[in-house]
Amino acid sequence: MDVSAQLEAQKSKFKSINVEKQVSLQFDLGLLASFDTNALEENKLKTETDNYLKSYTRDGTQLLINEIFQLPLTSVQDVGVVVELPKIVTAIPREKPLPKPKPPTRWERFAKLKGIKKNKKSKLIYDEEKGEWVPRWGYKGANDDGSNEWLVPVPDNADPFEDQFTKLREAKKERISKNEARRRRNMDEAETGETQKLENKSKAGAKALKKTELHQQISVAKTSTASLGKFDKPIKGEPSNTKGVKRKFEPNIGDIQKEKEARLNILNKIIDKKGEVLNVRKAIAKNHQEN
Amino acid sequence: TLVYVNVLNIEIILSELKNNDNVKNNVRKPKNARTKRILKKREPKVEENVKTAIFVRGSTTSQVVNDALSDLCRLRRTNSINFTKKNNIHPFDDDTSLNFYCSKNDASLFVIGSHSKKRPHNLVFGRMFDGQLLDMIEVGIEKAITMSEIKSQKCSVGMKPLFIFNGDLFETSQVHKTFKNMMLDFFRGQNLESINISGLEYVISITATGSIVDSDSTASSTSDGKIFFRVYTIQMTKSGQKAPRIELEEMGPSYDFKLRRTKFAKEEVYKIATKVPKTLKPKKVKNIDVNEIGDKVGHIHVGRQDLGKLQTRKMKGLKRMTEDDQTEDWSRKKRKS
Repeated sequence: MDVSAQLEAQKSKFKSINVEKQVSLQFDLGLLASFDTNALEENKLKTETDNYLKSYTRDGTQLLINEIFQLPLTSVQDVGVVVELPKIVTAIPREKPLPKPKPPTRWERFAKLKGIKKNKKSKLIYDEEKGEWVPRWGYKGANDDGSNEWLVPVPDNADPFEDQFTKLREAKKERISKNEARRRRNMDEAETGETQKLENKSKAGAKALKKTELHQQISVAKTSTASLGKFDKPIKGEPSNTKGVKRKFEPNIGDIQKEKEARLNILNKIIDKKGEVLNVRKAIAKNHQEN
Repeated sequence: TLVYVNVLNIEIILSELKNNDNVKNNVRKPKNARTKRILKKREPKVEENVKTAIFVRGSTTSQVVNDALSDLCRLRRTNSINFTKKNNIHPFDDDTSLNFYCSKNDASLFVIGSHSKKRPHNLVFGRMFDGQLLDMIEVGIEKAITMSEIKSQKCSVGMKPLFIFNGDLFETSQVHKTFKNMMLDFFRGQNLESINISGLEYVISITATGSIVDSDSTASSTSDGKIFFRVYTIQMTKSGQKAPRIELEEMGPSYDFKLRRTKFAKEEVYKIATKVPKTLKPKKVKNIDVNEIGDKVGHIHVGRQDLGKLQTRKMKGLKRMTEDDQTEDWSRKKRKS
């Protein structure tokens, strides 16, 4: 059965969704944007700006909608037709820099070392006394540390005239201040990167120290005796003269002949046999090698 | 000597202030859960929040500028703060007050409107990065029609717009490229993975004309260049095919902009600002590539083969024989027959 005629009739009822463009448009569908680099008709822009812009934009929007409808469409209940957008292509700058990974705190380091894993605790806990589920901590919580007790029994070994309530309050204050001190210490360490240093030290140990550093430390230790290490028994296999040679200067008034020879030697090194200061061939070769 | 001592004293005072725990590193410990949540919202994240924009009025403004600021604020309904009072702010001269406003409101986009004889009906669009100014583009409004002047049905609040950028200047001129980037940043709304078709309600069309006189200068580079900013609502009608037929109706504010001054950050700052974290980069599957034509190509790595030990089909007729063998065979055959 040939339905092409009927199809044609049906199609002609509706307006076309095709648009002809000289240069095809670029799309960034993650941003629902299209970029048209075709040339605009300048005279039309000047004379009938708004109408021309409207028709031109209509064409661009039509192409963009065509592109969007080619993406995977799903029909969601109560919502309608939903189209899945791809990732954004244009590089738009962020408003804040990428977050830096926080260095682990002292406890976290210790836990990692020992292999202690965090157990996720439930928020509610069954309180035997009350017979119902109460929060583990916080308002009306089960871990109330006795600071709000109305009745505190005096323990046997305690002074009977001691105020137990103040004792509890002081203990709580001390716990809070200790926690604060730890928090501050963690913050300081995070700032100065000390945890990094400590981690590296524990990881590498003696290997982290370079050989020269070790030698330096050895030489310093050797000379830190009362007699500056002069009368120490030398160890087998250890290089005795680790220090460098002191620079020696010739006396100002000496053998004139020797002085003349020394100076002429220097001059001969600078100026070669042909009498030129710069050996051009060598200079070019060296330049080539360096670059 | 007196000056030296004073400087020393200031250093000591500053260091003591820094050691004050409550104001350490400009971070105050939050006193309750609500402030803790606010601070957490403002800290840097891998996937960022929607950018907040502030709309500020300069020391003198005109009616056109006021209307433009309020219209743009309405276009960007959520996450935009409209400053109603006038502020003495000159972004191109001094950006300390600007940094202050943006950091206090946790905003990274701003529009400053002003009016003067030298620069009539002036708007400055700008962005911040890491509390510092990233880039600014100043435009002058030459012709403006507000949203209320155009009698038509407006779109719903907070919808994501479609963008159309017309003109090849947006690919060739550095200023226009940045302007395009800024407009996309300004009006894009939330980052969505999927969108409802009925939510595609309006389109912002930005058209650039004019010739580039000197594309490298920071001053206005186009001699008679204009940027047309138009907003239309989309009407979708049946087309007999999958995609609908689009008709537009002008809705929102309509402006004719003229580019004035610009101020951009250095290339390195842009690099840091557009850095994509490793977690958000698309994962590369090994041995599968997409070539230039668009075909998916896979690589199979076969180990080395010893061609001498290959098992092939044997064709006895093609076997190489010596003369003796041949004669022997023939003689045998002869004897048989």
